[in-house]
Amino acid sequence: TMAATKASKEQKYDRQLRLWGDHGQEALENAHVCLINASASGTEILKNLVLPGIGAFTIVDGHKVSGEDNRAQAATELLQELNSDVSGNFVEESPDKLLDNDPEFFHRFSLVIGVQLPEGTCLRLGSVLWNANVPFLVCRTYGLTGYMRLVVKEHTVVESHPDNALEDLRLDQPFAELKSHIQSYDLEGMEKKHNFQLPKNYKEKEAFRQLIRQGILTKENGTPEDEENFEEAIKNVNTALNPTKISSIVEDIFNEEQCNDITAQTPAFWVLARAVREFVQNEGGGNLPLRGSIPDMIADSEKFINLQNVYREKAMQDASVVSKHVESLLQSVGKVQGLFANAAFLRVVRCRSLAEEYGAETVNKDEITSSMDGADGEMVLYLMLRSVDRFYQQHSRYPGVYDYQVEEDISRLKLCVHSLLQEYGLNVNVKDDYIHEFCRYGAAEPHTVASFVGGSAAQEVIKIITRQFVPFNNTFIYNAMSQTSATFQL
Amino acid sequence: MVQLVGSLRKELADSVSDCNVLVVGAGGIGCELLKNLVLTGFKNIEVIDLDTIDVSNLNRQFLFQKKHVGKSKAQVAKESVLQFCPTANIKAYHDSIMNPDYNVEFFRNFMLVMNALDNRAARNHVNRMCLAADIPLIESGTAGYLGQVTVIKKGLTECYECQPKPTQKTFPGCTIRNTPSEPIHCIVWAKYLFNQLFGEEDADQEVSPDTADPELSWNPADTEARATASDQDGDIKRVSTKDWARSTGYDSVKLFNKVLFKDDIQYLLTMDKLWKKRKAPLPLDWLELQKLGTILEVTGTGLKDQHVLGVAGYSQLFSRSVETLRSMLADKGDGAELVWDKDDPAAMDFVTAAANLRMHIFSMNMKSRFDIKSMAGNIIPAIATTNAVIAGLIVLEALKILSGDVEQCRTIFLNKQPNPRKKLLVPCALDPPSANCYVCASKPEVTVKLNVNKTLVLALQDKILKEKFGMVAPDVQIEDGKGTILISSEEGETEANNSKFLSDFGIRNGSRLQVDDFLQDYTLLVNVIHCEELEKDVEFEVVGDAPDKAPTPPSSQEEQKNFANGNKDSAEPSTSSNAPAEQDDVLIVDSDEEPSSSTMDVSTESGGLKRKLHDAETGEASAKRQRLDQATADDDDDIIALD
Repeated sequence: TMAATKASKEQKYDRQLRLWGDHGQEALENAHVCLINASASGTEILKNLVLPGIGAFTIVDGHKVSGEDNRAQAATELLQELNSDVSGNFVEESPDKLLDNDPEFFHRFSLVIGVQLPEGTCLRLGSVLWNANVPFLVCRTYGLTGYMRLVVKEHTVVESHPDNALEDLRLDQPFAELKSHIQSYDLEGMEKKHNFQLPKNYKEKEAFRQLIRQGILTKENGTPEDEENFEEAIKNVNTALNPTKISSIVEDIFNEEQCNDITAQTPAFWVLARAVREFVQNEGGGNLPLRGSIPDMIADSEKFINLQNVYREKAMQDASVVSKHVESLLQSVGKVQGLFANAAFLRVVRCRSLAEEYGAETVNKDEITSSMDGADGEMVLYLMLRSVDRFYQQHSRYPGVYDYQVEEDISRLKLCVHSLLQEYGLNVNVKDDYIHEFCRYGAAEPHTVASFVGGSAAQEVIKIITRQFVPFNNTFIYNAMSQTSATFQL
Repeated sequence: MVQLVGSLRKELADSVSDCNVLVVGAGGIGCELLKNLVLTGFKNIEVIDLDTIDVSNLNRQFLFQKKHVGKSKAQVAKESVLQFCPTANIKAYHDSIMNPDYNVEFFRNFMLVMNALDNRAARNHVNRMCLAADIPLIESGTAGYLGQVTVIKKGLTECYECQPKPTQKTFPGCTIRNTPSEPIHCIVWAKYLFNQLFGEEDADQEVSPDTADPELSWNPADTEARATASDQDGDIKRVSTKDWARSTGYDSVKLFNKVLFKDDIQYLLTMDKLWKKRKAPLPLDWLELQKLGTILEVTGTGLKDQHVLGVAGYSQLFSRSVETLRSMLADKGDGAELVWDKDDPAAMDFVTAAANLRMHIFSMNMKSRFDIKSMAGNIIPAIATTNAVIAGLIVLEALKILSGDVEQCRTIFLNKQPNPRKKLLVPCALDPPSANCYVCASKPEVTVKLNVNKTLVLALQDKILKEKFGMVAPDVQIEDGKGTILISSEEGETEANNSKFLSDFGIRNGSRLQVDDFLQDYTLLVNVIHCEELEKDVEFEVVGDAPDKAPTPPSSQEEQKNFANGNKDSAEPSTSSNAPAEQDDVLIVDSDEEPSSSTMDVSTESGGLKRKLHDAETGEASAKRQRLDQATADDDDDIIALD
């Protein structure tokens, strides 16, 4: 029965529901991802999506395993065993063939993951997906190097879950209900003296702290009472008294074209952004809808709950106003409830296309050159990956796959490195050590590196599907030798 | 393994396939680790786990499927691995690594030990066993999106216990029993109540009003009178809550009215001093509530467990769960006890209902079953992706150790998302052993402050030596020139001493105790400082290593960093008291999914191991420079500069 299935899912997914919530889980269960190439890294990624309950996956792979068995089918059957709630499908064809015959095949997916793809295939597929607005995650394990590239034209995030977000307390611009709540306390007219102007600099903040200190009651012998709540207030002068303002990131979102021209095709994110903007410009008097939560503090529970309710009720009021704006913007939109609380955390991620990254005119030379300062950073690994791709184009194989090839391939790969640098006009030095090392790798896909890539890539996929957390933009490199990583905008 | 020939040198590939390794734990990290090990070419693997498989493991522990629920993790993990790697030689133990069978000799069989544990006690123990056997240990943990890996090698690096771990927060008994002010206090109370009614009774887990509340002691005569009164009132002063409950046949209405939510609350109201500055509790009456009918006022959206029922709804849930638990207890036969388990529906319903009714009485907003489960079960969220990443890192560290490059090993922190320096991973050079470590120093020594006239020998053994100092079977000899044996790990030798005070054996200020744990091959010298005035509910305090050094309370330096780190998902306080340490993937520091002491671990993701910042741009800075606070290393941009 439906109810029983639901209950068993709640149990099975309990430990992750606490991270991304039931709405995140629902998004995951409605998603259909495509994996190209069920290699070690590819199956690791899918495993990490099947376990948390992705709705469906389709493996595209023309390779054979041990004799006549098709890799797409074998991997699908084994992955399917991990979770009966997931629907597994496979296509026994190479991606190139599909691109030749039916490029629209790829339009149906929530996201496509391309693993261990030759450069040519990667660029072709990248352009098809870019035009169809399907997010594309390119992943690769090459010896002791891990690589991911996210290609998405526009990805909107409603819950970015920033670390250490400041509280939304409006102490400098108290709303009417908060004002009257504060006035119910007999605090010697603190707010009158300062008229809700925030202390701006160290001196003013220190004076404000002193003001709080003066409020501490004194014992009969003249020593101050041990009042934890005052101590807490003094400690929080810096964080709690943050000025109420809209971050430039959110301002930028309000100024986007998509926010101005709402049509029937406008995605829900932009409708919401516009509704919030309407709120800010009208009822909000320049402020975002209130988040509605307050931090834990030392207080007796009754006072705390009353204060909490003041904030909560105002947040609900604001939400319903935004909701009205949404309604008037569009006759019917889906579920928007609960989203306004995060209005301060709206984010938009726009990646560059693969065509831009690879184009001689559009390559991001500055990022490459400045990241090559150290000569041993992760950027050199990126250049090496591009060089082995060039090697593949010329020789139809990767360097050093068999031991006897290693020596002669070193000089061949060196030529590829030079021609890459020359073509893009990059004035950087790639040490010979890296050329040797990449020949030694022989395009191997060591499992322990694949495990790392599989975990990180699946996590990015989950971020994109749930629209929670901000995915990296746009290239991630992992160096398994030094256990270091870096992200670049290429 | 053809592919790996390219990446691993021949000698390394050989030692990988020849060596014996031990994996401690077959949970979230353990499953991933076993897979990575065999696919990297490890052939001889032993794995130990005392746990059985639960449904909530299946979202990440991919070696297990629904049909395996209830079976041994170690055994099923072995069988599943053999299916895709039949040539591996795997030995599985369904057992606790703290069992004395796994002695120093056992540990010496291995080239390398890898921890994939979920609790501090077992981590401490394996740390000591590896130090004693001089075997390198890879320690790891995950909590939600965060993870950590480090390497421990005797004499070369810090051991697991070199850095003091954050002390766990405890709640004073009178807060739990008389004046709860936060939901967590009510949840702790409800778990105590569960044990009082159905489980193992524990004198430290009283649930009735506490007449010895220090807030009341302003008038001793008054307290005395009240105490006498309560003696005469059979409903309040019960000899045993369990016996009384049993005598009523676990009548839920009687439980409800007589003690829990009505009469005890009315009794609390007589302690009027408590309510001068607080809002007084409001007793509930079963009949009155039932008049509200069976309407379950439901608020909240989302999962069923995320709904908050009304007070009438919780009173009915209380009654239903008491009935279920009563029959579960009856089925187990005479003298049986139930063990609270957050994944047991009736036990969880009981705590949800009882905690919410108490929250209502004390004017707090009630919480959903989902939220209460987080707090009561100290649940640390756990996902497949983080474990896969961490297990990948572990095997790479293992390869360095097998190559003889322990110096190249790192402590690696996995962030939730790339930090402001765009690093997802933060590797740090390993620190040398701490000279003052009470575990790995050459002659470990500690100083403990306690009241020799009030501390029982049993408390010394259980609370100080076992719980605090992580010993399994301590022997204690007094350095009094006679070598008096205070505690012997041999059964039957010193049990008679248990109920005596330390002073009965001549222990006083300045006494020294030599404590040995033969299993751990560990000797600790304990210096006793006698102190009459310890804080309420504090039985002892560790004030430093040797007595001649300045006392440094272990908690002070840890405190600040326990909070700043904004992961609310896992920073929920928890209270699992005596919860069996279970579940996999643990904490970074000590990210137990369920710590086993009766307390909460405020810092799930910072922990004992300090975070250090590795400056990739400038190479490795000195150990001192790298040692920053975790919060700082984590989000340097987000820290508000103090002006």
